[in-house]
Amino acid sequence: MSDIILLILQIIGYIFISIGTFFLLLASIGLLRMPDVYNRMQTATKATTLGSLSVLIGVGLIDLWWLPKSLIIAAFIVLTAPIGASALARASYKHGVKLWEGSVVDKYKEEKEED
Amino acid sequence: MDLFTIVSLILITIMIIAAIIAAEIKDLLSAAIASGVMSLVVSILFYMLQAPDVAITEAAIGAALSMAVMIFGIKSTKRWEK
Amino acid sequence: MKRVLALTLAILLFIVFAMAFAKIPFGEKMSNYPDYYNPIENQTSNMSLPQHYLTYGKNDTGATNMVTAVVVDYRGFDTLGEVTVLFLASTGVGSLMYVEDKVKRKVRRSNAVVETGSKLLFGFIILFGAYIFIHGHLTPGGGFPGGAVIASSFLLLYLAYPKFHAEHKKLNVSESLAGLTFVIVGLLGLIIAGYFLYNFLPFGLPTYLFSAGVIPVIYVAIGVKVGSELTGIVDAMMGVRE
Repeated sequence: MSDIILLILQIIGYIFISIGTFFLLLASIGLLRMPDVYNRMQTATKATTLGSLSVLIGVGLIDLWWLPKSLIIAAFIVLTAPIGASALARASYKHGVKLWEGSVVDKYKEEKEED
Repeated sequence: MDLFTIVSLILITIMIIAAIIAAEIKDLLSAAIASGVMSLVVSILFYMLQAPDVAITEAAIGAALSMAVMIFGIKSTKRWEK
Repeated sequence: MKRVLALTLAILLFIVFAMAFAKIPFGEKMSNYPDYYNPIENQTSNMSLPQHYLTYGKNDTGATNMVTAVVVDYRGFDTLGEVTVLFLASTGVGSLMYVEDKVKRKVRRSNAVVETGSKLLFGFIILFGAYIFIHGHLTPGGGFPGGAVIASSFLLLYLAYPKFHAEHKKLNVSESLAGLTFVIVGLLGLIIAGYFLYNFLPFGLPTYLFSAGVIPVIYVAIGVKVGSELTGIVDAMMGVRE
């Protein structure tokens, strides 16, 4: 009985790893094709975070012994990736990198004008 | 060729490219970042060669602290090499 | 003429020294030395130096991580020299870069996300560094990596809060106390057994936290010392910013 449960968990883990690698592939394609810094930042953080989280959870499900460690690593990725991304985006905005001409909204500028 | 050889060849190639960039480029900030990339790749290689002690030290000092010290130095001097 | 003479003399000297050093075995072979551990059964041991460490290191030092056994126990005096070199480097950077009035620094507030996140992560990174140097005799790692990790956590705070600076008096006190601990442990070994850095505490069971005698004490001291020195370097480098 427990063997069947382990097998099912392994299959779920491989599915998770496939989803994660798919998102990582999408992230790298987006990094090449997006028009400006901010859009590229979005693919490089959002899609990569989802992809690596999914891969980590998949690895933890395949070998349950690794699950606590991979969950801790996942928690740290969730904590650190958005911080780094926001710092990078803010620094490039302050440095004067222009938005793509097709951009619709610039919340940062609006907030500055309200102040 | 097994997987170990292929991965280490790829890492060594990245390392050599980063080292050449760090030595040749005129923008010193990019040079500092390239040297940080080189340290990171070296630490992965150390880990693959079963020297985790050295790998931890290299990742903490080479990739974080020495790059930060170099960037502080660039901030208080000039960014572009003549 | 003088130059040619000097060059020939130098080349001759080099050849003589090279021939002399070629006769001495370095490093590998131990077969000509008597076996220290069982002198009666077999008079000479055929082990190379790494094999010797891997075979007898656990019984000699009680540490399971052989790198730590070599760094702190077999070559402990060299480590004292290394820590002194790092202290010298930190002193040099501080004396060149330190500026007295921190008010001059142009303060630019960083992002709220960065501030909250770094406040959240600071404790975890310190904990990780302490884990690395407390478990130095059991798992990979030790005083130098642990100290570097602690210094990088302070670097995170420096980057997030422009006004933040570590108090130099506290850094001084922790650094000096750690160095003093190292030397006092070494001198206690000299008093008790006649060797500097003799491992005088009981070894305990290998693979447990309280084992390997004085090695954890020395490695905690090295970790605190390296951490405070590297933090001092980062602080001195940040002080220049205007």
